[in-house]
Amino acid sequence: MKSDIGMLKAIVGESDVSDELADLYVYSSDASVHQALPSVVVRPKTIEEVQQVMRYANGNRVPVIARGAGSGMSGHAVPIDGGIVLDMKRMNRILEIKPEDILCKVEVGVVNDELNRVLKPYGFFFPPTPSSGNICTIGGMIGTNASGNRAVKYGATRDSVLGLKVVLANGDLVKLGSNTRTDASGYQLARLMVGSEGTLGIVVEATLLLSPLPKYRAMGIANFDKLEDAGRAISDIISTGITPSMLELMDSVAITAVNRALNLGLPDVAAIVIFECDGMVKESVGHDIANIRKTCERHNGSGITVSDDPKEMARIYEGRKKLFPSLSRYGEGLVSTPLADDMAVPMSKIADCVQEIHKVAKRNNVIMSAYGHCGSGLIHTKIMMDPTKESQWEDAKRAVTEIYEYVYKIGGTTSGEHGIALSKAPSWKVEKKDSLEMMRAIKRALDPHNILNPHKLMDAPDDWTKATALRYNVRRG
Amino acid sequence: MGAGHLTRLEGEMNTCIRCAYCFEKCPVFNERGWDSDGARGKVILSYGLLTGQLKPSKYVADKMFRCTCCRDCIERCPSNVNVIDIVSSARADLVASGFAGETHKQVVENIKKTGNIYGDAEVVSPLKEGETPLFLGCQYLSRPNKTKKYIAILEKLGIHPEVQKEVCCGFPMEILGFKAEFESHKEKFSQFFPHKGAIALCPTCTVFLKEGYGLDAKHVLQVISEKIPEAKLGLKVTYHDPCDFSRGLKIIDEPRKILKKLGVEIVEMKDSKVQSACCGGGGGILMSDPSLSDRIAKNRIRQAIETGADTLITSCPTCEQVLKKAATDVGGSEGKNIAVRNIEDIIWMGVK
Repeated sequence: MKSDIGMLKAIVGESDVSDELADLYVYSSDASVHQALPSVVVRPKTIEEVQQVMRYANGNRVPVIARGAGSGMSGHAVPIDGGIVLDMKRMNRILEIKPEDILCKVEVGVVNDELNRVLKPYGFFFPPTPSSGNICTIGGMIGTNASGNRAVKYGATRDSVLGLKVVLANGDLVKLGSNTRTDASGYQLARLMVGSEGTLGIVVEATLLLSPLPKYRAMGIANFDKLEDAGRAISDIISTGITPSMLELMDSVAITAVNRALNLGLPDVAAIVIFECDGMVKESVGHDIANIRKTCERHNGSGITVSDDPKEMARIYEGRKKLFPSLSRYGEGLVSTPLADDMAVPMSKIADCVQEIHKVAKRNNVIMSAYGHCGSGLIHTKIMMDPTKESQWEDAKRAVTEIYEYVYKIGGTTSGEHGIALSKAPSWKVEKKDSLEMMRAIKRALDPHNILNPHKLMDAPDDWTKATALRYNVRRG
Repeated sequence: MGAGHLTRLEGEMNTCIRCAYCFEKCPVFNERGWDSDGARGKVILSYGLLTGQLKPSKYVADKMFRCTCCRDCIERCPSNVNVIDIVSSARADLVASGFAGETHKQVVENIKKTGNIYGDAEVVSPLKEGETPLFLGCQYLSRPNKTKKYIAILEKLGIHPEVQKEVCCGFPMEILGFKAEFESHKEKFSQFFPHKGAIALCPTCTVFLKEGYGLDAKHVLQVISEKIPEAKLGLKVTYHDPCDFSRGLKIIDEPRKILKKLGVEIVEMKDSKVQSACCGGGGGILMSDPSLSDRIAKNRIRQAIETGADTLITSCPTCEQVLKKAATDVGGSEGKNIAVRNIEDIIWMGVK
């Protein structure tokens, strides 16, 4: 690889290639538990540069791993076999905004919140709202099919991608999808790329469907003394036909953590449900909020407060967005690890699943939080543990396996929004056993030399704790 | 491996879940763009040094010293990770391994020899009898006209400051990784400044008197804001919050209250108050990487120009220095002009 650095420098320029160990070390991890060194980091600025890098890599059988902000939680950007990490953040131009067609075209290094800041004067927004929106790139969102807390109304990234430009493994550039809201014929290849975690091509440009900014918004919080009541309220709200723009659950572990880290002043109860409705007509928003309030009350929700004050709504929203990192302050010596972290279950099973999560945690000597975009059936868990103790990883491994076994038993799925990569692959392969060969065939067709983010998804190792080194300084005992 | 300053921080570094939220407004990351340039990158590099996966090197040191220590990352971190503590400890280990920058070494030598960062024995305090201890700090020691102006303002407002011979607070030693030197210097400082409380002129010194020595220190603007009379200056300005002010001391309202009372209209910049963008002058990069410092300062000046105000006011001598230069450069190269002044000039206009 060393001798090839000059070739890469010739493509993107001297200052945008590094094989310094310090840089490789920083690019060896993301927000997951995994760590593996790349051979080189390359920062392309143009499509042509990406094409040239891919031609070189394909010819020399060098792995290529696309990376945005490196905020993925399952190890998507961790180069398990070394190779080239393509840092896509320099490709960050907003190319076109067409309000009349309700779409925009962007390079994939554009940051989600920055795009929305630019779209705001036009009266539009890009609907997916991952908590990491302040730093995550559109490319990363496409790779993982990110969604976020407003997916309950607006859907995930895949629902807002109309078309893509993709550089294939051999360096060819293809245009997939269209500029139109309907595109019925043939295989939906743009949609296939979304959520493929960089294993099928390097997405370089995206045509995105926008939504008009709602004129009115109101948010409420309901307290519950029993977790199962909160779960049933959520299920009931959705099944009665209301479409909130946000419907979130936080259990007592999550409440404690955000209060400690962010001083949010949330009540000390078993669970809270945060709900939000938005729309163009104030009365309609008020009507939906009132119905949600009634549903919560019916399920023993109490202390219900509703606000349409932008500052108060922003305070609660920011607190919710920062929940995952703030879990690292739950207890002395415990850190938050993104394990088994985003399963989705049928709406009717939310309450049961949340209760089971706590039972699994107790059985396995770890602390787990249950929270998430439960209005979409999505439950987040994080495992709080001492990552320096080898025995805690064994505990975590058992807990992850047991949780997924339960999730599948009740008809759920492995990942609702964060993707699979390495951490979730062993269980996901069990869940998707009937699809694996089809996926491998698609992968072989598009990437015959297996250079695009290899050994992820269906090709990931069967033991996530040994797939790569763990990024913590783990000691025996 | 260095002197083990990072050892106590292993838990803190594990607490960092590497979410990258600290990227958002990191001035060095936004200028240079490598993940290793951002706050998260520096935490990861520090972890590598701690675990031995990285050896101390000039390359790592250059990365670690490219930090303005503006505290924006701490403000944004949902896990409340003290990134600056980690960075200064990593710097200390790198310095102990022989990777101190020449300009930084010179500053430390200057403090040891003369008591101030300039190494100039002629820089002395304007001694003055009074009731309330006033700590000037090196930046104001070297700017006697500014110091005299602040003393005159305080006298006008009925506060009688006492100025004694003083030595540097030692913050440059601490932040640049010369921790052993700082420990020796601490004793000397306490001999020169034996007070339990003080008014200080420099925001950075004020923070450090509190955090480094546990003193009951107040910044001079906190005191002035309680006594400022009304005036009608009729100016329209934008106000730059120094990092140590808005994020270190959490002083956001006081300078605005003073300016408003003096009849000055404030037009806020896009990044202001606790989210203020850095001027590029802190953390030692003004000495070790002046070009980077300059680029960050120009970004801030462009934000100031966008407000339409014709004057930027700040309350830190370092911010004033780097922003003045940047304003001149931007004015020359981009044809857009804005004046840069320190708040004491405006206050003096109102109370004299």
